[in-house]
Amino acid sequence: MKDAATAALTWSARTLTLALALGLTAAGAQSGRQSTLVIGGDFSDLITLDPGVSYEFSGSLITGNLYDTLVAYEGNDLQTLRPRLASSWKVTPTATGSRITFTLRNAKFSTGRPVTAADVVYSLNRVIALKTSSSFLLTDVANLKVGSVTAPNARTVVMDLPKTANPNIVLALLTFNVGGVVDSAEAKAHEQNGDYGSGWLKDHSAGSGPFTLNRWDRSAQVALDANPQAFRRSASIQRVILRYMLESSAQQSALNSGEIDVAWDYTPDAFKAAQNNPKLKTLKSGTFQLAYLGMNSAKGSPFEDPRVREAVRYAIDQDGIIKNLLQGLGRKTQTIIPIGLAGSNPATPYPYDPAKARALLKAAGKPNGFTVDFLVSTGACSGGVPCQDLAAKIQSDLAKVGIKANIRQLVNAELLTAYRAQKAPLIQVGWSPDYPDPDGNGTPLSDYNAKSLAWRNSWNNPQASKLAQAAAVETNQTKRAALYKQLTELMVKEGPYAILYQPYKPVVLSTNVMGFNRNANGDVQFEKVSKK
Amino acid sequence: MLIYILRRLALMVFVLWGVTLAAFLISHALPADPAAAALGNNAREEQLQAFRERNGLDRPLAVQYGLYLSGLLRGDLGTSLRTQNSITADLRQFFPATLELTLGAVLFALVIGLPLGIVAALYHGRLPDLLARLFALLGGATPVYWLAILALNLFHERLGWLPGPGRLDAYTLAPPVHTGLVTVDALLAGDREALVDALRHLILPGLVLGAFSAALLTRMTRSALLEVLSQDYIRTARAKGLRPGRVIWRHALRNAALPVLTVLGGLFGSLLTGAVLTETIFSWPGIGGYATTSAISLDFPAVVGVTLVAGLAYSVVNLLVDLAYAAFDPRISFS
Repeated sequence: MKDAATAALTWSARTLTLALALGLTAAGAQSGRQSTLVIGGDFSDLITLDPGVSYEFSGSLITGNLYDTLVAYEGNDLQTLRPRLASSWKVTPTATGSRITFTLRNAKFSTGRPVTAADVVYSLNRVIALKTSSSFLLTDVANLKVGSVTAPNARTVVMDLPKTANPNIVLALLTFNVGGVVDSAEAKAHEQNGDYGSGWLKDHSAGSGPFTLNRWDRSAQVALDANPQAFRRSASIQRVILRYMLESSAQQSALNSGEIDVAWDYTPDAFKAAQNNPKLKTLKSGTFQLAYLGMNSAKGSPFEDPRVREAVRYAIDQDGIIKNLLQGLGRKTQTIIPIGLAGSNPATPYPYDPAKARALLKAAGKPNGFTVDFLVSTGACSGGVPCQDLAAKIQSDLAKVGIKANIRQLVNAELLTAYRAQKAPLIQVGWSPDYPDPDGNGTPLSDYNAKSLAWRNSWNNPQASKLAQAAAVETNQTKRAALYKQLTELMVKEGPYAILYQPYKPVVLSTNVMGFNRNANGDVQFEKVSKK
Repeated sequence: MLIYILRRLALMVFVLWGVTLAAFLISHALPADPAAAALGNNAREEQLQAFRERNGLDRPLAVQYGLYLSGLLRGDLGTSLRTQNSITADLRQFFPATLELTLGAVLFALVIGLPLGIVAALYHGRLPDLLARLFALLGGATPVYWLAILALNLFHERLGWLPGPGRLDAYTLAPPVHTGLVTVDALLAGDREALVDALRHLILPGLVLGAFSAALLTRMTRSALLEVLSQDYIRTARAKGLRPGRVIWRHALRNAALPVLTVLGGLFGSLLTGAVLTETIFSWPGIGGYATTSAISLDFPAVVGVTLVAGLAYSVVNLLVDLAYAAFDPRISFS
């Protein structure tokens, strides 16, 4: 009977040897490592690389390196506009509003064609016509329509705005990929059924940015190659690869073994460990996100009384959340405009004070507190904290002042549906502005008529609406700042929110990566990176 | 035989139709709005409305289902709400990765489970049997995600023997896509480097995913073989003076194959659909991840599509297993 057993074992041994031999042959290809940057992260939100359609974080990150916008922000300064495709621009008042005149620099697309004013006009009109997720930025916020942007000559772009649009906001939103300039000849050549080349641009590129798209293997990786025609040329990095690695644990293991250079999504705990690892560098990059509690102030709800909303703000232990749950990966803020944007208000009028909260509840006729449904997402919340951990902390903070919050965990889609239908009594959720301008928070959070967050929390305050609308169109920076000061002060006292924190986004990289910076918008200029 | 196959295929169509109906009803019973899920927190009401109209979500459920079925008859699985891609194209891309991983896992299960089971049966009650049973117990009881993290940490991070997540090294360019199975594509392209890289990447996830199956296969092979070995005809064969190897391979294993085959068929189906955890941990771009993201974002046409394909694969494998019975056991016939 022995030889049967031996035969069985030999068979499997032979197969296993083959497997091990494959395993031990170290992959040879060392060449190109120096000039290749590999980033591991959760890029599963990537839907398209068409700059006019993309609205997701990963899409903006990548298209920002494939396409140029007229104006842009550099580094971490998100308040000063810098020239990009436009070497200069001028805002002049007109009878009907204002006019922005851009002068283009000499730039070439990766196809070799020159970037002309006609390409700019085409690119903006295409976004308007496509009615994409981000079209509203041009149509509703900038009040543009086909014909508003013209090209008197190949180097000049003229944009006419009505009085209802603030040229400062328009310039700010043009830095977003919705303002990315596409090679119109290339887009037209790949047009199908009047899609303005959108189907093709989903996974091809036709821009003037420092990189071109090599290929996008969905759910696996995106590969970018340096664009030799670019004016902001990549000196050192010739290829960037973004690898899909959903799990923080997979990213950690790949970073430790040198398989990736940068990890995009560490959990706060893993980040803390990385800070003590001499082989790794850690970046606490800013964001414009706000994690907050929304309190539905509809008639008959316990939050109808502003004193109850104040009580909640006193009851929340922000420092404890930031120190223990976020491991320091968050900033304390209490007003509705995030730190880093013009108009943000550094005031923190609500210390952690449960006694004061109880007193306010008593004054509001609720000495014994009340019970409320608390809607919470099943996933991770801003800053990478599991939403349920955050909710448990909030629940215990509220319990100390007599408010019994019944946690109801829902998947994000369900949570949003309930919120949008004004059916969330108390909700834990986040917000980030669509463009780096205080109006990206001012209007949705304050103006009931915008049918956004103020509406979802059934909170209607005509004074707040008026202030938000006035601040949106004010072009004088000093006056605008004064309006936002008034608005933030009103909101922090009256509004339906308890701001929890403004998270940092943790990025971990290997020590040989230089020049890697991620700004609060989530942009990285890959052309500035090099590897030792 | 042919009639049997046709009957089975007809039954399959019926089952798959049931799958579409169930999946359709379940996804619409959720108290959440797919438009809001697709467009996110910041989307405005007009955008949502336009999205609903564009995707026919504003129509009555029966109409939506009718449209879906008529598309299905034309081989069109519809458009994904999340990616706005054709779901057929999405699946064509993600399914081969899962298939490749599953084939790898079945291979490992066979290579490990079958010999272990044989050895255990032959050394019944002695040390090798004990070890094999221990393996079967551990393999069957260890959660996949734990095993995956453990394997990654040991073989990839600490020892550095095997590559980490993904189907290929980031520095290896993928071969041109023909079948979608990277190993086969690399072979077709004659790209040795990519082939070796792809095979190396297949080892850990394949082992992890195959571990449970290997354990089950060990147990099944052992018990099936033990039963056969006690039969009279084996005793006869041995009495005739046949070499032990011949007795095992020709007489015993052939008759023990039936239960083993049944297990294998079932395993293949469950692996194909159950690779979600392994795919997530190993960043494997298969239908597991696609199904998960689709489900989370209420992309129900995509969810129904995945369910259909998984159901189809499962049914086909089961049919093949049933047909293989006839090949192994002449007493079984499907006429």
